Amino acid sequence: MIKPLSIVVLVPLAVVLCFALSALPTPAERKELGIASKHIRAHGVNDTGAMNLVAAVLFDYRGFDTLGEVTVIFSAVASVGLLFSVRRLPNTSEGLSTITKRSIGALVPFIFLVGFYIVMHGHLSPGGGFQGGVIWGSLLILLGIVYGSRYAEGVVAKESRTVMESLGALAFLGLGCVGLFAGGGFLANLAAGYPRGTPGAITSAGVIPLLSLMVGIKIGAGLAAIFYAMVNEGMEVDNDA
Amino acid sequence: MTLDYGTAIALLCLGLYCVMTKTDLIKIVIGINIMESAILLFLVRLAAAPGDRAPIYPAESNVPPAIVFADPIPQALSLTQIVINAAITAIMLSFVVKLYQSYRTIDLAEIRRIQH
Repeated sequence: MIKPLSIVVLVPLAVVLCFALSALPTPAERKELGIASKHIRAHGVNDTGAMNLVAAVLFDYRGFDTLGEVTVIFSAVASVGLLFSVRRLPNTSEGLSTITKRSIGALVPFIFLVGFYIVMHGHLSPGGGFQGGVIWGSLLILLGIVYGSRYAEGVVAKESRTVMESLGALAFLGLGCVGLFAGGGFLANLAAGYPRGTPGAITSAGVIPLLSLMVGIKIGAGLAAIFYAMVNEGMEVDNDA
Repeated sequence: MTLDYGTAIALLCLGLYCVMTKTDLIKIVIGINIMESAILLFLVRLAAAPGDRAPIYPAESNVPPAIVFADPIPQALSLTQIVINAAITAIMLSFVVKLYQSYRTIDLAEIRRIQH
């Protein structure tokens, strides 16, 4: 059933958007206009030592903005934790069948390794702290689904998730403050004296891999914390009913 | 006005339609996520012209001068958007769970009926 009111709103919106988007400058014109983009594309590797310019923007040019992103995840975890009270719940699922448990068990180290690879190669290839952190978070969620959340709680307890999340954020701040004390400004990279290395090597780009690792730990622990807060609460509802 | 922008507009309108007409809270959350992916598509499309390379320098030391990279800034901003998407989706879903615990339904019309 199509509701007429929604059509009255949507069709004019689509028409207006069509006109607005067709008036945008072409990509070639835009490239001439974007001063920051031109500078980053020309000097990004020199400025930061990172081959991946997106990572260079994320952890160097706009490092302060990334601190804000990390805070967004932190506040999401905090609000979900506030909504679902902190008391520990006794019993959750028993997990899936033995076959699933065995085969996922064989895969777990490799999934962890893929996450680690993506985090640590963020300055060289597509990836970085956020993407790898999501893989780590989904690994923890997978453990909870396949083995039951009681077992997953034994692997990485709730307290250690909280500690990892806070440590990731604090280490990010600490690495930023190093720049402040070295005279380069908050979250400064090469200006703070972090070694540039050879661009393209795994140990290069100064503080970017370290920041990436901290963000990865924080995002992984944060997403797992959100999932377990919800799933434990859901289990309790089922027990009541 | 190309097909990419058209797809973004279509996705945005679909998501908005979903948010305006559905009464199931999960479907509303899905609609908001569809709208967010429309914005994401728009941002990434904005960053690149046809033929642009991803903004990652190749490993070899002598980069051919003909390579044109896509604009890295909108891509970094779209990463910000993904993170915020994840955060607000988590919070929206927690509210849905809380509403379900109070009302035993996630249908908005049903919840309004119970309230009156």
